[in-house]
Amino acid sequence: MKTELEHSFVELLEQHQNIAHKICRLYTNNYDAHNDLFQEITIQLWKAYPKFRGDSKFSTWMYRVALNTAITLYRKSKRQVTTQDYSGVEFKIKAEDYDDTEEQQLKTLYKAVHKLNDIEKALVFLYLEDKDYREISQTLGISEVNARVKMNRIKTKLKAILNP
Amino acid sequence: MDELDLLKKSWNTTQPEHKKLSVNDIYPMLHKKSSSIVKTLFYVSIAELVFWIILNAIPLFYSDEYKKKLETLYQNDTILTVLTFVSYGIIILFIYLLYKAYKSISVTDSAKKLMESIIKTRRVIKYYVLYNLIMAAVSFSIGLYYAIHNDSNISQNIANLQTTQLVIMYSIFVIVTLLFIGIIWLFYKLIYGLLLKRLNRNYNELKQLED
Repeated sequence: MKTELEHSFVELLEQHQNIAHKICRLYTNNYDAHNDLFQEITIQLWKAYPKFRGDSKFSTWMYRVALNTAITLYRKSKRQVTTQDYSGVEFKIKAEDYDDTEEQQLKTLYKAVHKLNDIEKALVFLYLEDKDYREISQTLGISEVNARVKMNRIKTKLKAILNP
Repeated sequence: MDELDLLKKSWNTTQPEHKKLSVNDIYPMLHKKSSSIVKTLFYVSIAELVFWIILNAIPLFYSDEYKKKLETLYQNDTILTVLTFVSYGIIILFIYLLYKAYKSISVTDSAKKLMESIIKTRRVIKYYVLYNLIMAAVSFSIGLYYAIHNDSNISQNIANLQTTQLVIMYSIFVIVTLLFIGIIWLFYKLIYGLLLKRLNRNYNELKQLED
C-alpha cells in the first residue's frame, strides 16, 4: 500500500531528480556508483521527509540533504576511485587535450572539476546551480566570507589545471 | 569569462547523461536499506556495548564454586557491591548519551554541523571503550589483590617465591595487560579509522576554511 506521504514524496523527487543526478555525476565516475549514490540520497531524503515542513522549497531542502549524503553519509564502495585529492602535478591535463573549441573546453573543464576534493566539488556545484554565497555558506556551515575566499581559490586551481 | 562561468553557461542547458527515472522506478528505492556511515556507526556502537557487557558478565558463567566465592566476597564487601551498582549506572548513562548523540544527527543540518554530530557520537563510543579498558585494568588488579590476600593457597605460594620469580610474575602480568589493551586499541583504531577517514578529511577541510 502506497501511503499519501509516499505518494507526495515520490512525485516531488521525480520532478527534482535532476538535482540528485547532477550530484551523483560529480561525486561518482561510473554508472553503478551513480545509481548507488542516487539510491542512498533517496533513502536519506525519504527518512527526513516527515520533518520537511514546506517552509522552504523542496529543492532547497533537497540540495542540503543530497549534498550531505554525498559528502558525509555515503560510504563509497570499492569500485569507486573519485576521492583522491587534487595534486598539482598528478592531475594536470595534457596540453594537447586542451582544444579551443567550446565543447572540448567544457569536456576538459568537467574533467578538472572531477579532480577537486569533496568540499570543493560541493562549492562548485552550488555555484553552478546559481546559489548565492549566503545559501552556499549555510549549506556547508562556513561563513560567507570564507565561502567566497574558497571559491576564488578553486577558480585559481581550475585555471592552473587547465593551463599547465 | 572565467572557466567556471563557461561551465555554468552549459550546466543547466545540457541534457543529463542519466536516464530520467519514473515514479515507478523511485517507489522501490524508498524501502531499500541504507548503507550510510551513521548506520554502520550505530551497529558498531551496539556491538561495543554488547561486547563489554558480555565481558563483564563472564564471571557469572564460571563454575558454581567460583560463583559461591564471588557471593561471599560481595556479602562481605559493601564497597564492591556499591562499585558494581555504579558500573551498571555508568553503562546506562553511556546508553543514554549514545542515544542522545544519535538523535542529534540530522541530515538537514549544514555539512559542518552534521559532521560534528557524527564525530561527537563517535567520541561517546570512544569514551565508553576507554572507560571499559580502565575498568578492566582496575578490576584485574583488585582481583589479584583479593586473590593474594584472601586465598591462603596463593598467598602461601607467593610467599615461597624468590624475588626473581616475583619479578617475572609481575612482568608477565604487566605484559599481558598491555598486550590486551594494545590489541583492543588497534582494533578500535582500525574500525573507526577506516569508517571515518573520509569524514575526518572533509571535516578538516571545512575547519581549515574557518581558521
